[in-house]
Amino acid sequence: MPRHWRAPLSLLLSAFLPLCTLAANSFENTAIVRTVELGGALVHVTTTYAVKALEDGSSVYTIALGEREHAHTAWLEAKLKGQTERLPLEDFGYHRDSGFYLYTIELPKALNVNQTSNLVIETVQTHATYPWPEEAAQKDPQSLKYHSELLVLSPYKTAVQRTKIRSPSPQVHSYTTPEDVEFTTDAVVTKAGATITYGPFYDIPPSAIQDFVDKKQKEIVIHYAFDYPVLEITELRRTAEISHWGANLNIQDNINLHNAGPRLKGHFSRLEHQSQAYFGKAAPHVLPSLQLHLPAGIHDVYYYDLVGNVSTSHLRTTPSTPKGTEANRFSFLELRPRYPLLGGWNYSFTLGWDSSLSDYAGFDSKTGKYVVGVPIMTVIPSVVVDDAEVAIILPEGATDVDYYAPYPALSESISTHITYLDTIGRPKVTLKYQQLTDKHGGVIYVTYKVPFTAHLRKPVAVATAFIGFFALAFAVKRVDIRLRRK
Amino acid sequence: MLLLLPLLALLSIPFCLAAPSAESAHEQLVKLAAANNGLIKLDDNLYNLLTHPNRNWSASIHLTALDPRRRCAPCKEFDPSFTAVAKAWSQVPKPQRDNHFFATADFDDTMATFQRLGLQSAPVVHIHLPVEGDRRPASGRTAPIVYDFSNGFDAGPLAEQLSVYTPVPIPYKAPIDWAKYGTAVGVGLIILSGIRVFLPILRSRWAWAAGTVITSLVMTSGFMFVRIRGMPQSGANGQWIAPGYQNQFGQEVQVVSFIYGLLSAAFLMLTLVTPYQTQPYRQRAQIYLWSGVILVMFSVLISLFRVKNRGYPFKLLL
Amino acid sequence: MPLAYSLPSDLSPATVTNTSSLLRIIALALISGAAIASRLFAVVNFESIIHEFDPWFNYRATKVLAEKGFYAFWNWFDHTAWYPLGRVVGGTIYPGLMATSGVIYNVLHALNLPVDIRNICVLLAPGFSALTAWSTYMFTKELKDESAGLLAAAFIGIAPGYISRSVAGSYDNEAIAIFLLMFTFYSWIKALKTGSAFFGTLTALFYFYMVAAWGGYAFITNMIPLHALTLILMGRFSSRLYVAYSSWYAIGTLASMQVPFVGFQPVRTSEHMAALGVFGLLQIVAFAELVRAHVSSRQFQSILFGSVIVIGVLGVLAFAGLTYKGWIAPWTGRFYSLWDTGYAKKYIPIIASVSEHQPTAWPSFFMDLQFLIFLFPAGVILCFRELRDEHVFVIIYAVVASYFAGVMVRLMLTLTPVVCVAAAVAFSSLLDTYIDPVEPEVSEVAVPVTGGDSSAASPATVDGAVSSKKAKKAAAAVADASSTGIASGIVAAIGGQSKSPKARGIFGLDTRFLIVVNALGMLLFFVLHCTYVTSSAYSSPSVVLASQNPDGSQHIIDDFREAYYWLRQNTPQDAVVMSWWDYGYQIAGMADRPTLVDNNTWNNTHIATVGKAMSSPEEVAYPILRKHDVDYVLIIFGGLIGYSGDDINKFLWMVRIAQGVWPDEIQEPNYFTPKGEYRIDDAASPTMKNSLMYKMSYYRFAELFGGSQAVDRVRGQQVPKTGPTLDYLDEAFTSENWIVRIYQVKKEDLLGRDLKTANAFANGKKRKKSKPLARRKALA
Repeated sequence: MPRHWRAPLSLLLSAFLPLCTLAANSFENTAIVRTVELGGALVHVTTTYAVKALEDGSSVYTIALGEREHAHTAWLEAKLKGQTERLPLEDFGYHRDSGFYLYTIELPKALNVNQTSNLVIETVQTHATYPWPEEAAQKDPQSLKYHSELLVLSPYKTAVQRTKIRSPSPQVHSYTTPEDVEFTTDAVVTKAGATITYGPFYDIPPSAIQDFVDKKQKEIVIHYAFDYPVLEITELRRTAEISHWGANLNIQDNINLHNAGPRLKGHFSRLEHQSQAYFGKAAPHVLPSLQLHLPAGIHDVYYYDLVGNVSTSHLRTTPSTPKGTEANRFSFLELRPRYPLLGGWNYSFTLGWDSSLSDYAGFDSKTGKYVVGVPIMTVIPSVVVDDAEVAIILPEGATDVDYYAPYPALSESISTHITYLDTIGRPKVTLKYQQLTDKHGGVIYVTYKVPFTAHLRKPVAVATAFIGFFALAFAVKRVDIRLRRK
Repeated sequence: MLLLLPLLALLSIPFCLAAPSAESAHEQLVKLAAANNGLIKLDDNLYNLLTHPNRNWSASIHLTALDPRRRCAPCKEFDPSFTAVAKAWSQVPKPQRDNHFFATADFDDTMATFQRLGLQSAPVVHIHLPVEGDRRPASGRTAPIVYDFSNGFDAGPLAEQLSVYTPVPIPYKAPIDWAKYGTAVGVGLIILSGIRVFLPILRSRWAWAAGTVITSLVMTSGFMFVRIRGMPQSGANGQWIAPGYQNQFGQEVQVVSFIYGLLSAAFLMLTLVTPYQTQPYRQRAQIYLWSGVILVMFSVLISLFRVKNRGYPFKLLL
Repeated sequence: MPLAYSLPSDLSPATVTNTSSLLRIIALALISGAAIASRLFAVVNFESIIHEFDPWFNYRATKVLAEKGFYAFWNWFDHTAWYPLGRVVGGTIYPGLMATSGVIYNVLHALNLPVDIRNICVLLAPGFSALTAWSTYMFTKELKDESAGLLAAAFIGIAPGYISRSVAGSYDNEAIAIFLLMFTFYSWIKALKTGSAFFGTLTALFYFYMVAAWGGYAFITNMIPLHALTLILMGRFSSRLYVAYSSWYAIGTLASMQVPFVGFQPVRTSEHMAALGVFGLLQIVAFAELVRAHVSSRQFQSILFGSVIVIGVLGVLAFAGLTYKGWIAPWTGRFYSLWDTGYAKKYIPIIASVSEHQPTAWPSFFMDLQFLIFLFPAGVILCFRELRDEHVFVIIYAVVASYFAGVMVRLMLTLTPVVCVAAAVAFSSLLDTYIDPVEPEVSEVAVPVTGGDSSAASPATVDGAVSSKKAKKAAAAVADASSTGIASGIVAAIGGQSKSPKARGIFGLDTRFLIVVNALGMLLFFVLHCTYVTSSAYSSPSVVLASQNPDGSQHIIDDFREAYYWLRQNTPQDAVVMSWWDYGYQIAGMADRPTLVDNNTWNNTHIATVGKAMSSPEEVAYPILRKHDVDYVLIIFGGLIGYSGDDINKFLWMVRIAQGVWPDEIQEPNYFTPKGEYRIDDAASPTMKNSLMYKMSYYRFAELFGGSQAVDRVRGQQVPKTGPTLDYLDEAFTSENWIVRIYQVKKEDLLGRDLKTANAFANGKKRKKSKPLARRKALA
């Protein structure tokens, strides 16, 4: 869970407690539908609350996340059904006596009695699945397990709710059928194709209470086959260097890639790997290569690791799109690690490219400030980034630096960075994140001023150095240090 | 004859089965060794005797084919050094000496043995370690150890390597080559006596120049390679250019160094000599001549190099 | 006075000298540029990467130096090398190279130029080659003149013989050593000519640098004394020689003893004794000269002379005695094998096994030096013509170096500079003769000499040439120019400076034109040759292999790095890797894992142990592996794509080296077929087939070909259909083209069975449980 949302408000928590207990009877859920899209490292959960107000002017809706859910959730956003803009969300952190993590959502306009509204809560869970069996030989299939709760908890009373779990492949090895569940008359669980449906369950009292959980809540486990490698980026260090002289934005990622699939049982046999490749049925947990969508209009792409350049990859660049036109075109990079990445193996590499600054920067003549937008990360679908650090290096002598992140970082700092032909060094903005998912692809906007003199600093420095050198040579040539004149 | 061989082999089998007791065998061997200063001449039975299944002695057996009809040059080359080492061993005090035997088995006397051992080439030296007694190897190895000829046929390395298996190192000393020393001394004396004659040569720079240039010419045309690798003067079927880039025959040294020499001579002529010509036409003639020589010889050299190093893209006239 | 062609006559000497010096500077700059550029093929064709084997260690050491600082580097004990022994790096290397790049690194970073240490290491050699060109220029200038100097610089700049060891990425001691060699020689010559202690000290300092940089410093240590000795014997003793030599020897020796790896060798080992002896002799001779200067009695002088000789002889005897008593170490093996060429093969096979220690056939001479090789004797002759002290030096250098180069391929490196110098002298004197416009004709006017210099490229040349020729002609006017015919010509030529020069010169333009065009053609050809050789032969970093795709594009075979990187990323940090010693440095550098043996082959037994493990059957090898905590065994196998430098081809050396230590367990003949062939197919000898190396190389190789016949592309032999089986090792990783194969050593069986039976049991059970695997088809 993005802890950073909690930070500012957790102090006020106690003050708000009355509110949420009070809130407990200001709404009721006419229906809750939770849809879980099972995946590898990421699991997308969409919960739709059809809410009905029980009082006039009730505008704050509270949702509750259980311990495990909260621990795994890396992204959480609330919308009104059929609308795009997010609703303001407030985190109340851990609610001690109910043992829940509470969030309140500001409805755009307060509801009066019996007015209804549809809330859609989207969450992305990371590391929610784990490989089972934990070890697999090279030819074995790959299966994952996912744990979850049977009932969606809410501080409000719920008329009807159901949980749909979609597995990526129809091949579901097992799913729990909970015993003696109340709130329902007919079958607790039904499976149709790749979809497992729990419920419907009727008339659930306000359930965000510890003893309800202890008594009524059930755990469900899904064991399903997953045909793609489960990838984690354990560490991502992105450095974006802005150069006005070169009119160039250089972006470089240092990436530690880890295959979180089942550990390789026994040993890697090239023979089997080649024959699998030959017959076109590669093992699901082997990653031969990785498809990346790099921004358009990039050039001089480089890809190397600790022992030098990696020659095994293909790149298709596309010219940059003119400003304004929202054609999202990509340069397509098929990145092949030096060796196929089997379960439990690691591979660390460096990927970087140059792109013309004009694609990312603009000049605001009113404020006299440059604005540069740097993407936080190159989004790789269904890959989680455990630890991310984005550093943006501004041109030398840049002043009044300001930056706006799409979502707050864990830690932010500005330091100086010295590189080629620098005299005083350049301001460097560093942002740290954790648990980034494919929802987190955003842009950090940095604004700064560069005085004209700062532009001149470099050439002047170089010129002085050379002139000094020549002067020295001149002097040495002319001064006679012999003791005896010839 | 060839049909006989298996029969002989069969005949020889009883010997190894009904071999006499080790003690008697040992005495017999000692006698034989003593008789022919340290070297036992083997026939099939003696061979089986020497390689007695429960022997407490070790033996180095030299399997060879000395008969001229066999036309085995290496055998002839190696035989003396083996004999020499055997002789050296016979100087060892008796108690140690009788624990190790030297023996020669000639193909024509011991065909059966050769047959049994399946030997196709000679000479071969087998070292049989004792099967019993305190000198038996820890590994309990009974199969013979084959002497490695990688150090050539000289007696020195042979003695050195065999000493590993004998109870005491073989006291072999290379005989002093009187002839060599004699000649050396003689030459020295001659030079000393003729110092008056040689002094001007020693003093003249051009003698030294000649020496220097010849040395460097010979060296840079691969003389040391031929010497170290012991390359033949010219290959089989009379080809004198060895195929392959890192390889050459003795004759190439002469040819190449000659070409080098001629070329540099031409250059020297152009630089030093022709300018002293006072008649224009002579000088012109010389200049054209030497330039022509340079051009031709250089292209010859290149073509020679192309033979050695295929895929060399450049060429001159030819 | 007749001129073949007219010249601008209204040039003031000042203008001439300035222009010529400017042109010289430009020419040198261009030469440096060419020298550096022609070494960048490796970077252009591949990438900026460290080449081959030893450079990887130097690179690693340099990284330690750059990251941890000099003292950490000095006291660096490398636990990962020679496991479990470890290696005291600081005391067992020549730190010059690393120190150099360390200094460069720090300077650049101090200037806010954060250059990656790898790039510094990669580009060090080309950079220093430019310096080498410059120092060769200085050296040759002392011999003849600037024009010869420029030629020499150009030659050494692009001569393949030097490029072969100094392309970008071959980060080895030789990279800087040749520059140091040439500069030491230059300052020695200079010191000798001027008799200045300053240059003597300079020689000493650069000698120290050389000692710190390369084991080949022994070459200088013996060249300079040899030169001094020769001069004494030629009766050319002078105070200049005395000053130069004494200052060099005293300071140089003391300085060289500061290098830990050298330590007290300068007074303990034979390699250095010549220098000491000559030093002593010089003192005696000097003393004798002193006495002779003051006393003037014939017989006393002769006695003195005799006594000098006697003392010299006594010194030699004393040295011999000391050596015999063992107070002075005899020649080290590597050094000794230069004289007794059979020595290495017999007693130190590890040295003999290295390919660059093989003798040199003539094609590689020609390959490396092309037309310089036959200009070289001409140059030597010219040196004999005017026999000044420095010429004596060049002559000695020429003889010694050409012998060494003949004995060892790698010593071509020391030959190249002198060849370039001599060739340049010959070539430039040819050009001088034929560019000079003056036609010989007796003229009455004797013009005073205005002094001048002649550099082949500038108006100054011609003008200078003119004036110097004028001088000659002035003298010539006196002498009679009646001689004709080659014979007399030779006489005249031989006469050289000594006799009064006769009228010499060239008639007509066509002759001049012919020769000059000819010369230019040769130079052009030389450039083409060098470029071709450099790009094709000397610019591949043996770490990455290049092959041609069907469509002609370059395809890179990167198996080594693939495997090394796999080791680095997916094995525990302390996993011990066993491989043949060639790959020790690369594993340490790229995979960053402990190794048993590596390329500094200081411990023969340890290497023999590895050799034994590789060449003996599994059950014998296993205890060895376990005793040395070996976790992974790495071998190189070229059989699939025909990479000939693989371990099966090196196998016999492993056997030989192992045999040297365990003669009764490993015998080379057992690895041959009864017919004495080296085979790996069905006919291979059982010992061969059971050896660990063979098993690891061909493990499951035949299956790759499915039904069809498996062929080893290197040996060109058919591999047995039923490949070997492994009981004590597991295949852990095999690179894309099967070049690198890594095996994991199994731990002892938990039930205490020996692994063979355990395996058999496991297989048996498997067969019962599951149906056999589907047969694999051949892979295209």
